[in-house]
Amino acid sequence: MVIFGATGDLSGRKLLPALYNLAKQRSLPAGFAVLGAAMSDLTDGAFRKMASEKIHQFSRTQPIDERVLAPLLDLLFYVKVDFSQQDEFRKLGRKLQELDDARHTTGNRIFYCATPPQTYSLIAQQLMAAGLHAGKGFHRIVVEKPFGTDLQSARELTQTLQKAFPEDAVYRIDHYLGEETVQNILALRFANSIFEPVWNANLIDSVQITIAEEIGIENRGRYYDTAGALRDIVQNHGLQLVTLTAMEPPLAFEAGAVRDEKVKVLRSIRPLIGEDIEQSTVRGQHTSGWVLGQQVVAYREEKDVAADSQTETFATLRLFVDNWRWAGVPFYIRAGKRMPKRVTEIRIQFKRPPHLTFGREAMKEVDPNAITLRIQPEEGISLKFGAKVPSAGLRIRSVTMDFQYVTSFLVEAPEAYERLLLDCMIGDPTLFTRADEVEAAWMLIDPIENAWRSGRPPLAMYPAGTWGPDEAAQLLKADGREWHRP
Amino acid sequence: MSAVQPDAQPMWHGEGVTVADVLGALGEIRYRFARREAGDSEHLHPRNCVMTLIGIAPTEAHEVVAKRTTQAIGMQHPAQAIVIREEAPIRRRHLDAWITTDVRRPEMACAVECELITLHVHGKAADHLGALLDPLLVSGVPTYLWWLGTPPFGKRELLDALRVSDGLVVDSAQFEEPYRSFRRMASMLKVAHHRMGLADLQWSRLRPWRESIAQFFTPSDRRVFLGGISELGVDYAGEGRGNRIAASLITGWIASALGWKLRRAAAGAGGVVAAIYQAGGRSVEVNFRSVPQNDRVPGEVSAVRIAGAAGGTTFRLSVMHDPPRSRDATGSSYEWDRRRGDTERVLLTLIEIGDGEPLRHVQQLEPEDEAALLIELLSTGTHDDVFNRSLAAASDLVESS
Repeated sequence: MVIFGATGDLSGRKLLPALYNLAKQRSLPAGFAVLGAAMSDLTDGAFRKMASEKIHQFSRTQPIDERVLAPLLDLLFYVKVDFSQQDEFRKLGRKLQELDDARHTTGNRIFYCATPPQTYSLIAQQLMAAGLHAGKGFHRIVVEKPFGTDLQSARELTQTLQKAFPEDAVYRIDHYLGEETVQNILALRFANSIFEPVWNANLIDSVQITIAEEIGIENRGRYYDTAGALRDIVQNHGLQLVTLTAMEPPLAFEAGAVRDEKVKVLRSIRPLIGEDIEQSTVRGQHTSGWVLGQQVVAYREEKDVAADSQTETFATLRLFVDNWRWAGVPFYIRAGKRMPKRVTEIRIQFKRPPHLTFGREAMKEVDPNAITLRIQPEEGISLKFGAKVPSAGLRIRSVTMDFQYVTSFLVEAPEAYERLLLDCMIGDPTLFTRADEVEAAWMLIDPIENAWRSGRPPLAMYPAGTWGPDEAAQLLKADGREWHRP
Repeated sequence: MSAVQPDAQPMWHGEGVTVADVLGALGEIRYRFARREAGDSEHLHPRNCVMTLIGIAPTEAHEVVAKRTTQAIGMQHPAQAIVIREEAPIRRRHLDAWITTDVRRPEMACAVECELITLHVHGKAADHLGALLDPLLVSGVPTYLWWLGTPPFGKRELLDALRVSDGLVVDSAQFEEPYRSFRRMASMLKVAHHRMGLADLQWSRLRPWRESIAQFFTPSDRRVFLGGISELGVDYAGEGRGNRIAASLITGWIASALGWKLRRAAAGAGGVVAAIYQAGGRSVEVNFRSVPQNDRVPGEVSAVRIAGAAGGTTFRLSVMHDPPRSRDATGSSYEWDRRRGDTERVLLTLIEIGDGEPLRHVQQLEPEDEAALLIELLSTGTHDDVFNRSLAAASDLVESS
């Protein structure tokens, strides 16, 4: 595995610790080796030292088992590569050949781009020019989201990648799909017979998807101020969660079938155009406020952010999936920074009973049934329903039945990257995003992005530490609904 | 820092911490508990929690009460309790936190761990309780905010905390400046979000009174008396308009239930209040009078009298709290009725209908334990339309007199 950007944040925080945990589970294939490639001038020893430090710091399993780590570090190598220099890719090729020869890896190669998105095309082109994109064994390239900044750039990126690698060798990582609880959405829906019959417009009133972060932009001002919440979160994580919630049962849990169904959902979403955008979207930006008991500054006061920035740190969309199953059911997505806490969840809100058998007074404290799929943290599922309060009278109150991952299984859930790296090694792209999926998502997002850039609807401000601007609450209120408090 | 240490042996304690630290510690504590309780079982038990109860304690004394009460509630209902105390500002330090747990082991169910999180909040962070509390709340179960003492009605601090709450619980009997605070509390219902419920422990304490009064009118042949009430009298301890809240709540309850409209009210010397309500085509005279306090708490109701006539029959209902002993001609005392030896807390109801013999009924009152009152109140929720209507009517009366 070649990790481009091996000295960077993603490599240190996620990839190297994931490899360590895979090694600990004895999941790494025989002859496996990592070749770090980056601009820094490091020796193999220095790279191993850095890797050891990062694994100690960021591995999900602690303490570190030195009996696992030491042999893993022996598999790490390093080569300095300036991505703009073709010669350096040839040098990379020679190093790979050495490793092939020494470790009998039969030419299988994964090129992992843990680098800024603008380098993906360049790296793919250089790999092709150096003849590293094909040959004996498999040759796969892994790129991280965002996949382009709009439909056009996404298509250009796809075309460039596909010149060097066939589509089935391009692994687009949206790490959300590697989360256990995201995969559990499909398990809940399709491994149980009790949910699917009610999973439609007959009984479901609405779906709320919340992707909230308590953190700000964390020194990513330069990137974030050109991206915003819509591109950074909604286009990928948000729409992925919509597709998994709304998709039809695939024939099997295999890449083609699952991804076909996801694309069908994206193509069924009614595009927001013209006035729809002002009526069905809210874009917000946080001002200063208090989060987790700490005072935080306004977005515009963050480093590398324009003082008059119009970039949204909060986005809400109301979408409709125009198909038989979901006709008339709104999907509300909200994503934002500097919200009260970090939480990602999908709430399936059911309709109220058609007749109030027990009268309005008895039912006044009863919420409609709801299933909440908690993606993070405290991963789990809860079902809300009404139950009689033990007393002489007849009063109904809402109660919940909870399933929590952490207290239900004695095995710890792996990190998303562990699952995704392993899938990439064994050639299972089910949890990776396909090119048509990416394009379908951008086709929905582009018109919204364009309208937002022209100031429609106006940017709504919200204090840090709240669940977004009032306009987001009004959007639901106008539909006779309200946001669930996660 | 407070001289009162929140907990003798907390599971976790941190000074100058963040809410993220508290959340991390909570996660660890929950995980350890679940693992420990699982034993050899393949599956760990799910964590059970029916509500988050937040106690805001303005003083050390309130903090002690809040912790004792929330822990007592936790032993009956698996709950997460948070007690917050505002402290003097300390530079660069917003939060000190303690976490204690109580484990309950019901015979027929798995063990339940109840958490008490005590937070001492320094300086400005206390003005942003919503942001502080929101991450700690248990999703999917109601959050009740119990504000001990006098809530800062209309102030940002309270509004911010209410943002994350489903119900506010207060005790109007504990208000400083009760007259002003009570009116502000009543006006709060007009601006609160629709999910927000309001409950008053003083209203809960009046429940035996309300039940005694309601029971009089329950038999079908007495329903007609509801339309014939011409007088309502309430005796209360103490003087001053701030001590007339309980009396006003009872009046407000009856007035709002029967559709009476307040026409005029006036307060006189010695704590007397006279009010006239319009009930259909008739007038109802309402009188409050202050009685000597003796061992009563100021503001406590000591008697309610209702009189009137309907269908040619007169009626009189008197409900008295712990009534004074009557004396016979020889001067020796006797009791109005039998009392239990272990308590003198009784409500005596006297009923006179037409020329019939007076009927007497004695009701034993349970001790007014704050935990018991809160449990009763929270088990039925804080959305009580009857209370809301009574509160609005009581506020009108308090304001007019």
